[in-house]
Amino acid sequence: MVDIVIPMLIAFVLIYAMIKKVDAYSSFVKGAKGALPLMASLLPFIIAMFVAVELFRNSGLSKYLCEFIAPIFKCVGVPSQVCELILIRPFSSNAGYVLLREIFSQYGADSYIGKCASVIMGSSDTIFYVSSIYFASTNVKKTLLTIPIALVCNVVCALLACFCCRFI
Amino acid sequence: MSKIWLFMIVLSLIVTAIFMPSTIISTMMNAAKMGVTMSIEFIGIYAVWMGFMQVMDDCKLSHKLSDILSKPVQYIFGKTDKETEKNICLNIASNIIGLGSAATPYGIQAMKGLDKGEKKANRAMIMLVVINSTGIQLLPTTVIGMRALAGSVNPSCILWPTIVATFVPTILGMILVSLFYRRKRHG
Repeated sequence: MVDIVIPMLIAFVLIYAMIKKVDAYSSFVKGAKGALPLMASLLPFIIAMFVAVELFRNSGLSKYLCEFIAPIFKCVGVPSQVCELILIRPFSSNAGYVLLREIFSQYGADSYIGKCASVIMGSSDTIFYVSSIYFASTNVKKTLLTIPIALVCNVVCALLACFCCRFI
Repeated sequence: MSKIWLFMIVLSLIVTAIFMPSTIISTMMNAAKMGVTMSIEFIGIYAVWMGFMQVMDDCKLSHKLSDILSKPVQYIFGKTDKETEKNICLNIASNIIGLGSAATPYGIQAMKGLDKGEKKANRAMIMLVVINSTGIQLLPTTVIGMRALAGSVNPSCILWPTIVATFVPTILGMILVSLFYRRKRHG
């Protein structure tokens, strides 16, 4: 579905531009020019994030933390195998996909665990990445309750994901 | 944010130093390399979407979209200027159709527009970040693709749970932000 929708949207925009007599080529180039400066301003934040996440993963702390929180999650119906995914997902998409692939090859994509992991991966996002990147371009130093609220939503998301997966 | 970062790094360093100190430097350098590689890939992705965004802007298409969505956006984010409103609309729209990477440039533009130069985040900024970090997405294309590759008989069976698990937390997030941060009457 999405394979068709997005190309169609792009074609629509370009045809609309043609009708409105807008020079699509020079507009495109003008817009694309902004990508490099944008990324250059984000790079330090991305590297800071990546270094922290990778050190954390490499230290094995995420595994200990998982063992610690797994029993709590288990009480509310979240299989312990997806705990590490719940923990890592808010930090990094890439690491999340790596874990998802591991879960698929270990338990199978159609197992309950595999389904839970898929839904968690698909329905949540990288909280820490998003908030560091989004606030990076502003003067804000105090993000107040942004991250706690996002984390609460993330836990609710994981609970809902595992609950819904019981019915498919 | 900076506290979490510091805490993660210091704790990880201590634990790693005890068990396998030789891996610390290589992990850090690899992480930095990963960051750079990802950023370079994203320059291309952002360039394409920012290019089309400019085309949409220049033929006033994005203004039409934000005119339609301006009522709900004003309701959720409070009063902002036209440009910021447009960026918020496009940010949310691209998130919903599953173009997370296209949403980021709009989101950052919108954040700049919402920035009043204060040290503390304001309500609209928190709202935008929370909405973005709960990942509103209708079509989890990457996950479905990975499931298909992993040999699932029905890769897209996760669709409705994903939609439930993404919209409920997003709405919850919006409610929580509204509860903690009252809308300013004049602002």
